[in-house]
Amino acid sequence: MFSRKQTSQTSVSDGMANKQKRYEVLVLALHRDIFRYACWLVKDKAVAEDIVQETFLRAWKSLDSLKDERAAKSWLITILRRENARRFERKRFDLVDIDDVSVIDEQLSNEVEIEHRELRVIMASLSEEYREPLMLQIVFGYSGDEIAQQLNLNKNTVMTRLFRARNQVKEELDKANNNKVHING
Amino acid sequence: MDELEFRRTLYADPHCKDERVLAAIADDPKKQTFYKELKQLDKRMHQASEVIVPDDLAHKLIFRQTMQSHRASKVRNRIQLAMAASVAFVVGVSFTIWQQTHLLNLSKQAIAHVHYEGSYALDAQENVSLQQVNEKLAKFGGEFSEDIGRVYYANFCDFENVRSLHMVVAGENGKVSVFIVPHDDAYLAEGSTHDPRYNSQAVDLKRASIIVVGEEGVNINKMREQLKRKIQFSA
Repeated sequence: MFSRKQTSQTSVSDGMANKQKRYEVLVLALHRDIFRYACWLVKDKAVAEDIVQETFLRAWKSLDSLKDERAAKSWLITILRRENARRFERKRFDLVDIDDVSVIDEQLSNEVEIEHRELRVIMASLSEEYREPLMLQIVFGYSGDEIAQQLNLNKNTVMTRLFRARNQVKEELDKANNNKVHING
Repeated sequence: MDELEFRRTLYADPHCKDERVLAAIADDPKKQTFYKELKQLDKRMHQASEVIVPDDLAHKLIFRQTMQSHRASKVRNRIQLAMAASVAFVVGVSFTIWQQTHLLNLSKQAIAHVHYEGSYALDAQENVSLQQVNEKLAKFGGEFSEDIGRVYYANFCDFENVRSLHMVVAGENGKVSVFIVPHDDAYLAEGSTHDPRYNSQAVDLKRASIIVVGEEGVNINKMREQLKRKIQFSA
């Protein structure tokens, strides 16, 4: 009786150790992309970090429901989006614009950095329905089908939104360039 | 593929692998430039999107989970402890109840004792003096202050593992078996019982119980009252 109890306990702790290992692999492999995506979703680094923490905590709790490791990314994104929605149920935060977040690429020259900052402002200014599919494409390299599945949208809708998102970015960039030319001229 | 569809498709996905799109690009240098520009823009957007991730984020995520599962296991331990405690409690309570319902019923036991001993004590024809009875009774800190009539038999006996005094006394209409049993928690000391042959009554006194057993027709009530009145216990 005692020996049986012991073996079952060992297998329980083995299971725990396995789960722990799975979780750590998941964190190490995906936390960067998930954090970046969260930043673009909420446009505030501190809030994004909170949400990512909640997301991974929830992921840990229901890790057993993740049967296929290949689905981990989209599973985490789903949890993240749900956490983000919950945040709005609780309270609406006044968000800092992504431009205020220090995102410095030291290797890049000043000019490129300025250009990046400009792009970031434009990308952040997109409405959420355009920003979200665009960032899924850019951060995670998702295809139109994958985005449609993730956001629970029809593929045509996704493609239209992506088109409009890029179109808007391009227009804003052109506008900014024209202004520069104008100022320079 | 017309111009608009071409642009729409590439805007939606600059890395589109659609053959018609690729063919259109190959055919038209202007489209090729447009394609290159768009890919360039995407590259820049990708670079711009790369928010710097805090170095310690992965550690934080793992650490918080460890804390969480530690807390969870503490809660689990508490639940297990609470369950063990309630099981112990239930066992305790039911044991007490069981014990109470299984208290030795002295009056019943006395009849059984009389049956078991048969004629050995009942047929004894000694004439035990009050002094001899009191010497034995002194073991339990008691004595009879007055004569209790003829005593045919008086001896210690084993009454369910308790050393007791067994007497056979002359009562009204016949012999009465008398047991004087020191107090014990396992006894239900009061009450009466009868079976087809014998009646018995138990009465709880200061330091011992007296049980009187007699055949049908023997006045055990009177004997019980007489003994109760005459017995005295030292403080």
